[in-house]
Amino acid sequence: MNKRRPNPKQVPDPNEPLWRSTLRVAMPLNLSYIPIGLACGILLHAAGFNTLLTGLVSLLIFSGGAQFLIATMLTINPPLLSIVLMLFFLELRYALLSSSLSPYLKGSSNRFLFMFAVSLNDENYAINYLKFATDKKWTGREALMVEHYSLLFWAASNVVGSLIGSALKIDLSIVNFALTALFLYMIVMQIKNRLTIVICLISGVLAAVCMMLTKSTLGLVISTIIASLIGFGLEATLRKKLPDSHWLWRLRSPGSKKEAVEHSDAN
Amino acid sequence: MNAVNTWNSTQHFWLIILGFIVAFIPRFFPLMLFTKRAIPEWFNEWMKFVPVSLFTALVVKDIFIDSASYALLLNKYSEMLAAVVVIIVAYRTRSMAISVIVGLIGVFILSMFMA
Repeated sequence: MNKRRPNPKQVPDPNEPLWRSTLRVAMPLNLSYIPIGLACGILLHAAGFNTLLTGLVSLLIFSGGAQFLIATMLTINPPLLSIVLMLFFLELRYALLSSSLSPYLKGSSNRFLFMFAVSLNDENYAINYLKFATDKKWTGREALMVEHYSLLFWAASNVVGSLIGSALKIDLSIVNFALTALFLYMIVMQIKNRLTIVICLISGVLAAVCMMLTKSTLGLVISTIIASLIGFGLEATLRKKLPDSHWLWRLRSPGSKKEAVEHSDAN
Repeated sequence: MNAVNTWNSTQHFWLIILGFIVAFIPRFFPLMLFTKRAIPEWFNEWMKFVPVSLFTALVVKDIFIDSASYALLLNKYSEMLAAVVVIIVAYRTRSMAISVIVGLIGVFILSMFMA
């Protein structure tokens, strides 16, 4: 995402107003939200959401994965509780994201943390985490502004998508692949070592088996819990018994530290 | 994607409210708790594997599982091929937007030849 920033080495203008400097940081993300937000809005419209509710769900839930999931699940008319449970497990990953940002937000008021949590999202997390780690002047205030910019672009593209969906007839099986592509992208960004790839394979097989057995999306929840526990157990065992195991080697992937990779390339 | 949904707007509204609550809990409480005290190591180590496991499971559901009968499907060749393309593009570009757009174009072109 940072690659497309025009000139990262640019000397910051000390007089640049805060809203503009944070907007500059958020812009690559804002632009990439447009096509995904449009696809999501089209699918939500097809699932029966009106434009007002599409705007509301984008503002309140603000999660591409969750909104795509709502759109797909509504087409098979499942019980409300089953969708909400799926959403809970889908959103559980934010526990990890928000706990990893917490060291940078020490001393903030609960009101600020509330605002921050409401508009936290995978992508603005990635930007803010990088900024907190590399920029000493980056504070919670700037981070919250980045979150709000991305929220604005996301909600607006969803609403426009919903309007497009009501005006045109679109092949949904193709638009639906946007979700699959989004998840594939997020998997690739999560892969840090060979063990992660093993866990992916285990989770894939478990998911298929569990869904065939339960005949419902509850199988997804069960397989996620089992696969993550297997990963947790395997990693702890490998660390203890074989600390040099090549399964724990870092891969040259987006998930491993970007700077370190670039340095080793230069050498 | 052709079954017609029978929910009305009130039901959608309650779904959004409940969805907001379950989206808010995991975002807020760790933040509130861990800005005040240290994060337990085991929690982090476990949570590290949740996203990967869940995303993989969701991709498997989209590509290999029939959404109505939950039977194994192994004939969505255009989706399978497009998925491989998306993985390569995501790995190379690290861009979410490019990955999604390439995936959409890919599945569109492939489904014309393979459907």
